[in-house]
Amino acid sequence: MAEMEVKESGKKGPGVKKSKKHSTRVDLTPMVDLGFLLITFFIFTTTVSQATSMNLNMPKDTKDPNLDTKVKESGSLTLMLGKANVIYYYFGNDAATMKTTGYKNVRDIILKKKQATPATDLFIIIKPDKDATYKNAVDILDEMDINEISRYAMVDPTPDEYSKIQQTEQASGIK
Amino acid sequence: MARAKIKRGSTTVDMTPMCDVAFLLLTFFILAAKFKPEEAVKVVTPASVSNKVAPQKNYLEVIISKDNKVFLDMDPAMKEDVLDELGKERNISFSAQDKKDFLNAQFVGAPISQLKQFFQLKPDQLKGANLQGIPVDSANDELQSWISAAVNAKMGEQLNFLIKGDDGSKYSTFSQVLDAFKKNDQFKYELVTSTKDVPKGSELFKKNMAEQAAGKKP
Repeated sequence: MAEMEVKESGKKGPGVKKSKKHSTRVDLTPMVDLGFLLITFFIFTTTVSQATSMNLNMPKDTKDPNLDTKVKESGSLTLMLGKANVIYYYFGNDAATMKTTGYKNVRDIILKKKQATPATDLFIIIKPDKDATYKNAVDILDEMDINEISRYAMVDPTPDEYSKIQQTEQASGIK
Repeated sequence: MARAKIKRGSTTVDMTPMCDVAFLLLTFFILAAKFKPEEAVKVVTPASVSNKVAPQKNYLEVIISKDNKVFLDMDPAMKEDVLDELGKERNISFSAQDKKDFLNAQFVGAPISQLKQFFQLKPDQLKGANLQGIPVDSANDELQSWISAAVNAKMGEQLNFLIKGDDGSKYSTFSQVLDAFKKNDQFKYELVTSTKDVPKGSELFKKNMAEQAAGKKP
C-alpha cells in the first residue's frame, strides 16, 4: 500500500509560507568605534581653545630729540605700510629711492639687509600710515620675530613721506 | 579511537557594555566642556608665530572691531574696583544695581554718558544693537580714563594689557589705542593673535630647531 507522507505544518493553514528566521542580533562594533571617535574629538577640542598673544613694547614718547634712539644711516631700513597691502621701503635716509613690494617679498628684503649689515648697526623702522590695516602692522611685527630682528621701532610717517605715498598710490591707480 | 573533541565556544563578544561605557564617557566630556558664550563683537585676529599663551589673570583687554570701534574687557575680579575708580575720576556715582549690571556685562562698549543703559542690555540684545564703542579720539579719550582707573585700582600690581584687534581695522585706531596707553605711562602690551606655523627655513625656525636639539642632549 502506498504510504502518504503527511508533513506536520502546525501553522495556520495551506498557503502560508514558512519564512526563514533571521538572526536578531546586531553587531555593535561600528557603533563603539563611532562613540570613541566622538570622545576623542571632544577631548581634543576642549583643550585647544587658548588664545595666544604676541609681545609689543613701545618706547617712551619724548619731545627731546637728544633722547631719541640714534640710528646709523648705513644700517637702517625703513618700511612704510600703505593701503591695499603695499609696502614702500628705502634704505638709510634717502626717501627718494623709495621702492614698492608686497608682504610675500618683504622677508627676502629684510633678510638681505640683515646679512649685509653688522648686527649692532641693523635697525628697522616701521611706519604704518593711517590707511594700513592692523593686520599689516601685526604681520610686519611677526616678520621681525621670524627673521630674528632685535632692533626695530614703530613710528608714524612724516607728512612728507605720507604725501609721497599718496602720490605713488595715485600714480599706480590704487584706491 | 575516539578523537578528543575540543568543545568549541562562541568567539563573538557581546559589545553592549563597551558601547555603554563609551557613551557614558562621551556624555561626561560633553557636559564637562564649558562652551564660551558667543561674543557679541566678532573679531578675527591676525596670525603670528608667537606661541605664548595669553594671560587669563589680571588682564585688561582692548578689543578693536572691524569697523574701528573700541571695546574693553577685564578680569572679573577687578571689575568693581575699576568702576569705583572711574566714578571717582569722572565724578559719577554708580548705584548698587549699576555695579551688578557691570559685573554681569560681557564688556564695556559705550561712551561713559550711556554706560548705565548699556549695562542693562541683555546678551542677545547686544548682538543686534549698534554698539558705539568707547571714544578714543584725542578730544575725548575715554579709553585713557578707563586705563588709568584700572591702573589705580590695581595699585602697584602689574596688569596685563591685551590688545585684540581685527584684521581689517585701521592702523589709525590702533595708534589711538596705543596713545591712550602711552598717556598712562604703560608701554608693555600683548597683542592677541591666532597661531601660525614658523615658516620653514627662516631664522626663527633654525633657532627653534637648534634649541630643540640642545634640549634633547643632556
